[in-house]
Order: sequence, then C-alpha cells, then structure tokens
Amino acid sequence: MKFSISRSQFIKTLNDVQRAIASKATIPILTGLKIAVSETGVTLTGSDADISIEATITQSDEKAQLLIEEPGNIVLPARFFGEIVKRLPEDQMTLTVGEGFQTTITSGTSSFNLNGLDANGYPHLPEIDAENKLTLPADILKQIISQTVIAVSNQESRPILTGVHILVKDNQLLAVATDSHRLSQRKLEINNGQGLEYDVIIPGKSLTELSKIITDDLEEVDLRITENQVLFTAGPIKFYSRLLEGNYPDTDRLIPHDATTTIEFNTQKLLASVERASLLSHASQNNVVRLVLDPEAKEGTIYSNSPELGNVQESLAFENLTGEKLDISFNPDYMKDALRSFGPTDIKVAFTSALRPFTLVPSEDEENFIQLITPVRTF
Amino acid sequence: MTKEMLFELPNINHTNRKIIHVDMDAFYASIEMKRHPKLRRRALIIARDPRQTHGKGVVTTANYVARQFGVHSAMPAQKAWELTKDQRPVFLPPDFATYREVSGQVHDIFREVTDVVEPVALDEAYLDVTENKLGFKQAIEAAIYIQSKIYKRLALTCSTGISYNKYIAKLASDYRKPFGRTVVLPEQAESFLMQLKIEKFQGVGRKTLPKMQALQIYTGADLHAQSERFLIDRFGKMGYMLYRRVRGIDNRPVQADRARKSVGKERTYNPPIYDELKIQAQLKYFSGLVATALAHKNLQGKTVVLKMRDKDFNTITKRQTLAEYIYQSADILTAAQELWATYGSLKHGVRLLGITMTSLLSKQYENITLPLIY
Repeated sequence: MKFSISRSQFIKTLNDVQRAIASKATIPILTGLKIAVSETGVTLTGSDADISIEATITQSDEKAQLLIEEPGNIVLPARFFGEIVKRLPEDQMTLTVGEGFQTTITSGTSSFNLNGLDANGYPHLPEIDAENKLTLPADILKQIISQTVIAVSNQESRPILTGVHILVKDNQLLAVATDSHRLSQRKLEINNGQGLEYDVIIPGKSLTELSKIITDDLEEVDLRITENQVLFTAGPIKFYSRLLEGNYPDTDRLIPHDATTTIEFNTQKLLASVERASLLSHASQNNVVRLVLDPEAKEGTIYSNSPELGNVQESLAFENLTGEKLDISFNPDYMKDALRSFGPTDIKVAFTSALRPFTLVPSEDEENFIQLITPVRTF
Repeated sequence: MTKEMLFELPNINHTNRKIIHVDMDAFYASIEMKRHPKLRRRALIIARDPRQTHGKGVVTTANYVARQFGVHSAMPAQKAWELTKDQRPVFLPPDFATYREVSGQVHDIFREVTDVVEPVALDEAYLDVTENKLGFKQAIEAAIYIQSKIYKRLALTCSTGISYNKYIAKLASDYRKPFGRTVVLPEQAESFLMQLKIEKFQGVGRKTLPKMQALQIYTGADLHAQSERFLIDRFGKMGYMLYRRVRGIDNRPVQADRARKSVGKERTYNPPIYDELKIQAQLKYFSGLVATALAHKNLQGKTVVLKMRDKDFNTITKRQTLAEYIYQSADILTAAQELWATYGSLKHGVRLLGITMTSLLSKQYENITLPLIY
C-alpha cells in the first residue's frame, strides 16, 4: 500500500474521523485508525463501538493532490499517527506499508516508521441499504440537535432518556428529549422520503458528535435507518450510530395546552437576569430561583438566595403579562439551557400553576418548537 | 530573618462567650463495662480480637486499665494484645448502635442546659452556655450540672473544658482526665497555652510535629515567639491559624444543628443470618426505619449505602447513587435490594446489616418530575 497526499486536506478528514476514536478503548484495535486505499480514493475509519465515522478522500478532489500507487489496508495507532501527521514539515506526505505492517510516513526530509496492525482485525461497519433515505437541510439538522440534546438525561439509570426520540410520519419529523425534569420538542415539515415512517431513539452523545462534523459549507445530510443503526451521510463523511433499544415514554400528553398566566420576554434579557440570579443559587445547596409575576401590578421579579452569601432581587423586563398572579420556583440551569436554545428572539412563557410544568415557545412560531420545564416545590 | 508582611492583619478576639467542651471518658469502653461489670478491672479493648482476625483490625478505644499499659485508639489490635497479654485482656467488637443511643441520652442532658450544642463525635461536643436555659451565671455551674447529671443518670463520667472559645475549651477538657474539669479564663489563656506542649495544639499532627521540632518549636511559648509571616510561610493556612490560636483567638461559633451527613440504621445478628427471606425482611424493616428517620428530619437523600458483615467480621459497604433524591421506604428498599443482589452473600452468614442514606438535602425543595409512562 502506498499513496501520497496533501497533508492539510488529510488532517481535515483525520480530525473528523478521530471524533469517533476513544483514547482508551476496551477493544484495543478501536484505538486505531483504519486507512483503506482503493484505486479511486483513501477511506479513513474510526469507531468507539457506539459511533463510527468513515470519510473518503477521492482522487477527483484536486485540493487533496492524492496520488495512489498501490491499494491496501492498514490500522495505525490513531493518537500517535495524528500527532505525527500534524507535525510533519512539508505539505505533501507519503505513506507506505511494507512487510509486517511496518508503515513509513515521509514528508520532506522527515521519515517515521510506525508499527501498524492488520486491517483484517478491524470490525466491519454495517451495510445500510441505500433505498430509503430522508434528506434534511444541514443547518436545520444542526439546529434540531442543539435544541433537543440539552434536555437529554445524562443518567445511565434510565438509558432510554439519554437519547433523542425521532419520529417520522406523515411528512413530519418530530424530535423529543426529556430527562424527566424538562422536555424539548422540535417539529419539522419534510418534503421528501414520501411514506417513510421511523420511530427511533438516537443517543444524545452521538448527535452531539454528529453536530460537530456538520460544517457550514454543507447543504444536506441524508439519514438512513435500519433496525439498530442509523447512518448520516454528510458530504464525504458517513456517520454511523447505534440506536437505543426500548420504548420512549409518551411525551405528547405531557405538554399542557392551557395557561393561567402568560408573559413574553426577550430571551437575551431574560437569560442575563437568570444568569445573575443563578450566581447566588449556585452557591446554595438547592440551586433554586423564584419568579413572582403580578399581572395587576404589572410586575415580574426574580429572586434567589444563598444562606451563606446573601440574596438577589431583580425586576424583569417583559411584555404582555396576563392572567393570574404566580409565585413559582425552578432550577435556573434548566431555564438557561432552554433560553440559549432559542437564540436571540422573543419567547412566550405559559404557566398553569406553581406546581405544574411551564412552557416556552418562540413568539413568532408557537407550533414547531417548545421547551418545557418542571418547577421546584418548596415547602 | 523572615520578610515582614505588607500589612498587619487585625486580631479581633471575642472573650465574652462561655463555651464548654464535653469529652466522655473512654466512652465506648465505659458503656461496655456498664453492660459487663465483671470487666471493670480487666484491660478492656474495643476492637475485634486479633487472635480471631489473624492480627487485623485497629483499636477503637480502650478503658483506663488498658491505657496504663500504653494501649490507645487507632493502635493495631495486635499491638494492643502484645502490650496487655499478661493481663488477660478482653477484646470486644464495637457496637455503635448502642453507643449512638447512649450518646443521644447524653445530648438530652446537654439540651436541658442549652440548644447550642455542636456534636463533634458520639463522645464529644461543644456547648455555648453564654445564654442558658437554667440561668447559670457561671459556665462552671453548667459544667458541674452536666457532669453530675451524666454520672447520676447514666453512670458514666466525662471531662469538661470551660473557656471563652472552642479551641481552648477543647485543650482544657484534655488537661485533666478522667472526670476532670478545667476552667481557662481570658486572662489565663496565654499562660495556659504557653506551657502546653506543641503536639497538644489541634492541627499539629503527625505530619506537622516533626517540622515544628525541626524549627525548635516544642511548646506554646516557642510557637508564640514566631512571627505571623514565618508561620504562614512554613505552614500555610495552618500557620495563619496557629498564630491566632496560640494568642487565644478562636472566634468560630458553636454550630448547633450542623447539617446532617447521613441517616442510617443497622443491627447485629447473633447467630448470623443464613436465610435470604430473613435478609429481605430486614432490608424492608431498615428501609422503613430510615424513611421514618428522614421524615423526622425533613430530609431526602440521593445515595443508599448497604453495610454487610459476615461471621468472620469481614465488613463491606457498597453504595448506589441515584438520579433523584428519594425519601420513601419503597425507593430506599429498591436500591438496597439491588445492592444486596449485586454484592450480598449468605455463604459466610450475615452478622450485621445496615442501610444508610447519604447525600442528604432538605426536603424543603423537590424538583417536580414529569409522569413518564413507557
């Protein structure tokens, strides 16, 4: 096996693939990077058994200046190989595999010899049939991920909640995540993949990693699903993830449709206020802020205190406060995560009572995105 | 010569408080001697018998007979045996459930005098009697009351240290023992501290002592002679503290009802249990007790600890931290059962079983949970 390539282009691809490689893996070969050279291109593969990333650099890509002399496969220790490649002196580098998987990497006057591993020992990635696919705009997918993964649970005690529930039906995609104290739900109309129906749970961690390889220049991402795997194709990159097994709880009925108190905020202003209040709540064992809304007096006030440090009180800037007087406490971190997911916009917050979950929706689009937060009961 | 500091730190000394440090005399051993009067004259060592544990284990405490032969707490049980073997020493394993109960009775007596009680351990507490329920003008009257009540009601002795701060009160209770009483008035504080050996100062432990000696600091007076800068440079925060302590300054309040760290129940079984059903019944029983104790203190917890000891006194404690705070008996039981299923074994019997709840939080706050149905 032998090829030479532009190092800068190679590093870009390597960085993407390395996201899937854990530095300490229970399966030793998975600390390695697989390099497969065919007549037409070089494919890099990395995997941690939960996700796998495969990226191909083709000969037709001019910037890569790929010159293939002899096809073949090798597995190299990913971390060392990466460190070496990043420090080589010239932009062009050549990789040659000789006897006993001895791999030589040369660039300019520098030459490294690295002990490789037999690529036949590397796991085979699943074949996912190309028939059924859903195509999503890359920026929207990235947005959906960032809006839902915040509500994913990080507790392994209920594994199902560590994933995002994806439902595709009737030309609509629904993404929901909840850790049982908050919930985030995003809807999207889709105009392709007619008749496709999916009901899967994708690990939140996988989606976070996927999100990092979706670059701004990318227009579309294809989604293919089999029984226990999902494949996202993003340009030259194939991103595989396992799916979580089990039934996701029915979240539809958790979202309240009536409200007794509603109010509108600018997210940035409210976020700043909540961040100030949480300076003190974080210092206390309970991490709670209190919000008092008084429609009659046209007042909205946020409070927090730490028995040791002191307390804070702030009058909030808001619009359209209507309904009944309300006194509610909640975890400010949930609120901060939720507010950040809206971006700089105005939101409508709807409450039913001090002990019932409340909802946040964008004022401009109440239908497609909703965040729900449960309050903290104080005795 | 050390550099001087850029500024001088002000030393404010509160000398108007009346604080008592109560230290029960050989507490666990005394309780055992009360239970087994025949042991009074024998060297009694609270530890598992090293002859049955192949020399493992350490001394929890010992009575004054054993102490005469050099036995002290934290010493290997094997060494304690060697020191006292000619006296036919008696080894008893600690029975904390009983000690805790007696400690509660001692605290009842404290609370007749004041509610400002800071427990340090089962056998040790600070009391602030500046204001007290019985109208004592002098702290020494309160100390006499406590010592005699404990003696009359529980047939146990304690030593008290009486001063204007916690640090000196603790040093004073150690000054005359057992059944001693030492008063250190503000004007006596410096001379009291000056004559103390350096190792008596709290904070000067095994690591600090050799450093002190290397600097020719052997007594309170030697410590007093050092500049603040010198002590801070060599001993950091501890130096800052010691500089003040040796000048009789300790303004820490007596902290009543410090947040509890754990709530637990355990029991010893003689003979040991070999029956799974009985274990399950005990787990259920303890879960109920722990839930009641949590409720009593208005607490919830996140970590369930299961303690198991087999007939050979091998003790293991295993914990499980949950995603949510819990307080109900059924939830505690579920976690305890999981721990038992994973780590428990009937092979060598179960001599002790206990459930403890830690990572406690006041139940004043409860994050409401969505009713998820799968």
